[in-house]
Amino acid sequence: MLKKITVFILLVLLTGFLVGCWSREEITQIAIILGTGVDWTADGRIRLTVQIAKPGSFAGGAEGGGKGREPASWAVSAEGKSIEEAERYLAMRVPRDIYWGHCITLVIGEEMAKKGTRIVTSFFLRDREPRETMWVMVAKGEAKDVLETHSNLEKTSAQAAGLLERMKTGYSVQLREFAEMLASKGVQPVVTRVEVKEAGVTPGSEQEKKSPAHKQVEITGVGVFKEDKLIGWLDAEKTRGLMWLKGEPMEGVITVPSPGEPDKEVSILIRRGKTKIVPKYDGKSLRFDVKIDMEGDMVEQQSLEDLAKPEKIKFLESGMAEEIKRRCNLALKKAQKEYAVDIFGFGNAFHRKYKKEWRELKDRWDDVFRQAEVNITVAARVRVIGLSTKRADVPEK
Amino acid sequence: MLEQGKIDSKQAIMLMLSTILPTAILTVPAVTAKSARQDSWMSIMIATTVGLLIARLVVVLGLRFPGKTLFEYAEEILGKVPGKIVGLLYIWLFFLYIGSGVIREYGVFMVTAIMPDTPIIVFHIVGVAVVAYMVRNGLEVLSRFNQLTIPTTGLLAIVFILSTKDMKLARLLPVFDAGPLPIVKGSVAPAMWLGEIVTFAMIIPYLIRPREAHRVATLSILLCSFFLTMSILEALLIFGPNVTGHWIFPAFNAVRVVSIANFLERLESVIMVIFMLGGFVKLGVFYYAAVLGSAQWLGLKDYRPLVLPVGVILVALSIPLWGENIVEVLHFIGQVYAPFALIVLEVGIPLLLLIVSLTKGKGGESDA
Repeated sequence: MLKKITVFILLVLLTGFLVGCWSREEITQIAIILGTGVDWTADGRIRLTVQIAKPGSFAGGAEGGGKGREPASWAVSAEGKSIEEAERYLAMRVPRDIYWGHCITLVIGEEMAKKGTRIVTSFFLRDREPRETMWVMVAKGEAKDVLETHSNLEKTSAQAAGLLERMKTGYSVQLREFAEMLASKGVQPVVTRVEVKEAGVTPGSEQEKKSPAHKQVEITGVGVFKEDKLIGWLDAEKTRGLMWLKGEPMEGVITVPSPGEPDKEVSILIRRGKTKIVPKYDGKSLRFDVKIDMEGDMVEQQSLEDLAKPEKIKFLESGMAEEIKRRCNLALKKAQKEYAVDIFGFGNAFHRKYKKEWRELKDRWDDVFRQAEVNITVAARVRVIGLSTKRADVPEK
Repeated sequence: MLEQGKIDSKQAIMLMLSTILPTAILTVPAVTAKSARQDSWMSIMIATTVGLLIARLVVVLGLRFPGKTLFEYAEEILGKVPGKIVGLLYIWLFFLYIGSGVIREYGVFMVTAIMPDTPIIVFHIVGVAVVAYMVRNGLEVLSRFNQLTIPTTGLLAIVFILSTKDMKLARLLPVFDAGPLPIVKGSVAPAMWLGEIVTFAMIIPYLIRPREAHRVATLSILLCSFFLTMSILEALLIFGPNVTGHWIFPAFNAVRVVSIANFLERLESVIMVIFMLGGFVKLGVFYYAAVLGSAQWLGLKDYRPLVLPVGVILVALSIPLWGENIVEVLHFIGQVYAPFALIVLEVGIPLLLLIVSLTKGKGGESDA
């Protein structure tokens, strides 16, 4: 009997452990942050902007035809001496618990990036909620403006920016990769540049009288860093060169002159490729042999000639190689001569081959890199030419 | 004998796997990667060699004294008083220390990574309460529970495969970058963890087929080192050596990175499951060894009355023994306790016991 009573009392006491989480947060009590931006204000404070999801607007399912959509997010900012302090000020405005776990994008304002990004990254790497996989971007202008736009296709601009990154339309960087670049002496960071630009209009009955230009986030190249400070930009064209030299992602479109009619263009869609960097060092001079293997499809021609001939394809391939080499050299020149930073990871390639020499050179690597000779050789292949051989819309001669 | 239960060789292998692995995958990668960087896998190889030697040592010693645990044959070899001193050293500095260390690591992990608002002592008390029940029921129950939960370790392999997308082999290059010294330094912590196979000395007498003890110990070490290598490599291949060394729980961060098709992601609960279930068993083994050892040391007829007091001691020690804050805990594990335990408790004393027993001709029937 006594045993039974003891067991009963113990069981009742044990239920105390079953009530669930210590500090539970219901979904209706948390503010889910989708994107965040950090700016450095004119008076030297940190401004944290967050884009908070409004779960109600997500729930609706398919949107009704002509009905105007309610914005699905709310962007709000606060200032403070540090990110956490700014977050506390935010908490006074946001009536829910701020939750970082679903934050997709981290936008760093231009001034903040110039001041130093290590001020920003620490919080996001140390705190347990933000994830290492969030996309990092640097804004041309203020990060606040980026987060205050809305997307026409996606629910929120943070999601749209995240999707743009995930599709690798430009050079995209996750927080963990950014941290890795910041922590490495063999490569300097590059981060996707985003800008708010006018992007089309929203057609529809309400806008018929005067279609306002729709402003949206756009990826426009990369920001170049020395250590953690932004020192310049590469435009979209040079960014391709950068990506090809870094070895990923390789996809992209280039146009080359048509073999028979050089004033007309042929578009080639690059499907895949591989980059190999071979350093050569003899104690004094440093040379890098970069071998790029590319494979692409011909997708468009402006010229009227028949390109479905082996020798013409050969010609296209050499044109393709030329163009890729030109773009790589553009990016390389800019990095070597203007910014004097190794954003390609040549340092890491050097480290892999010459570990002893690296120990002497690593602390003045950017200087060494600036004087290094880089030979780029490109082997390009065209494998697929689409669905037609000769143009289907040109009459036989 | 105090313990009536018997376990078979398979159960013993699984039990040893849980004795070593759960905290190892969480704590060791950071300690090792900090000094050996991208060559951490070499550190693990060195540690494995050391672990295999320790396993050999422990089993040879154990088989010379069939049916006796570490505490019993220590007295037989060294004589009553020195034997008691050695026994006390093991109870205090090994089983209680590591037992409370497991509790602490478990609490620190929960508070840092999962539930920051809960006071750490809650995790300590709840954890020990559950394990106390298991220990009270003896070795067989512990082994059966472990048999039930050990398959979760396989999730480590699955997570590894899922994260290959984010891995780059180039992050392991150049090989042998920093020279031999950092690699050896980095191997101390994993060697100490693999050296926890010393606990096997408490279990050998309860094997159904003690002749298989060598096989059990060797296989346990190899399996542990396999999973340990995997979790270190996973972190290194995802983050590279610079970042890996600066996470507190690299394996945890590595799991967070996994994202398959924007759908299969946020898998950190996987590592939590492995660590929590395994952590219970690990704590159970050390708790059990401490209780059984104390009973043998005191010459009791039953070890069960000691379960509760030892549990209270474990909880009480978990905070002061390992440091006030996480920085002290990590420093103490890596810089102080690991080298000490490895040299003195895992290699030194067993070796001494073996040498003395050989010279004195005690034990004898080493037919294994």
